[in-house]
Amino acid sequence: MGFDLLEPRTVAEAVELHARDGNAVFLAGGTALLILQRQGLPLPRRLISLRGIPGLDEITAGPGGGLRIGALATLRQVERHPLVVRRVPLLAEALRQVANVRVRHTATLGGNLAHGDYRLDPPAPLLVLGAQVRAVGIGGEREIALAAFFRGLFETALQPGEVVTELAIPPTPPSGGTYLKYALSSNDWPCVGAAALVALDDHGRCREVRLALTAVAAAPVLVRGLDELARGEPVSDRLAARLADIAAAQVEPVGDQRGSEWYKREMARVFARRALLAAARRAEAGPVGDGTKEPVA
Amino acid sequence: MEAMERQIRLTVNGQEHELTIRDNTLLLWLLRDDLKLVGTREGCGTGVCGACTVLLDGRPVNSCLTLAAQAAGHHVTTIEGLATNGRLHPVQEAYIEERGFQCAFCTSGFIMMTKALLDEIPNPSEEEVREYLSENICRCAGYPDILRAVQNASRKLAARGR
Repeated sequence: MGFDLLEPRTVAEAVELHARDGNAVFLAGGTALLILQRQGLPLPRRLISLRGIPGLDEITAGPGGGLRIGALATLRQVERHPLVVRRVPLLAEALRQVANVRVRHTATLGGNLAHGDYRLDPPAPLLVLGAQVRAVGIGGEREIALAAFFRGLFETALQPGEVVTELAIPPTPPSGGTYLKYALSSNDWPCVGAAALVALDDHGRCREVRLALTAVAAAPVLVRGLDELARGEPVSDRLAARLADIAAAQVEPVGDQRGSEWYKREMARVFARRALLAAARRAEAGPVGDGTKEPVA
Repeated sequence: MEAMERQIRLTVNGQEHELTIRDNTLLLWLLRDDLKLVGTREGCGTGVCGACTVLLDGRPVNSCLTLAAQAAGHHVTTIEGLATNGRLHPVQEAYIEERGFQCAFCTSGFIMMTKALLDEIPNPSEEEVREYLSENICRCAGYPDILRAVQNASRKLAARGR
């Protein structure tokens, strides 16, 4: 069983190659695809490698704050990049918990999202950061909010032949954030992963609360309706517990070897609460974000 | 259905090679079968055990999850490339001194990861060592000796000015 590896030098060429063979699959870092092959899933006849396309792995400051991350940047590149560490430490914290250093040196952020696996860590922090996916297809370029990107089990909003080229992270309000991963071992896929971002006003009351959960539904979940309850409220165990109940009602776990449907829902509740409280503590201790260290004009 | 073949050039342990490979050949098999560098081992074949660790342009990767074609034009370092002029690398010496192995199947992977770690973080805390090596598996479970070997190697490299 073999495949041919096509190595375009531009995104346009990559898209063109796919137009000629609709069964071809794009290859980024390759860690996910080569494992699938190893597990006996036949790969298509042609793989279109994106690794040789110059410039797709750049990480730059975004306009007015935030940042742009090329889709082919490896997870390790992103987690150690000074701009990421300074502006979105939540993302660096989450990426440090993915698999191992070797995989993170190879796997790419764009590939991670396009893979659409329901139990990956990076989607959770990127959802609370409000990331936008830039994709290029034969018909042109478009931006997709990450919140609308994940559709179901291994299903994304990408059309066949569309390539993820970049991720844009908008400026974050001064806030505290965290990613908590609950797993069988530190390198495993999560039973549940919870990313939280909490912004407080001058009186320590909630201004904005964001929460995303991974591995507890067919696709990562950005929890809705938290601000209605939280805005203007002081942070308390009771508030966090009520918000966690809202979160638990929005997950639809698929039982897997890391937990049954019931267990995952209960752990989603527990880790949502813990993540919210931890994020709030960080917001109290000293918020980070574009409004703090690098004021937006 | 056979995969296409291609000619590639790559540098392994400082030596340039020109080879004909199939598109679907893994770097692991190029090293072991074509170049007979059998110090790089296959454990799990899915990136989670670390036995196949090599350095690609100085960065640690799983050679079982890297296509040989993706190493074309790049520098690969394997366990065989660490010794210079018949003298073991300080990381290798440290593993021997601390007896950081029993059956040694996993050892080349551990040593390559340790080299990469100390290149990146010359004086790591125990926490950093544990995190960096957290998915290198030793079934003889000699982990405390391995952790001592890493700290020993760090001291050796510092003493020699790297």
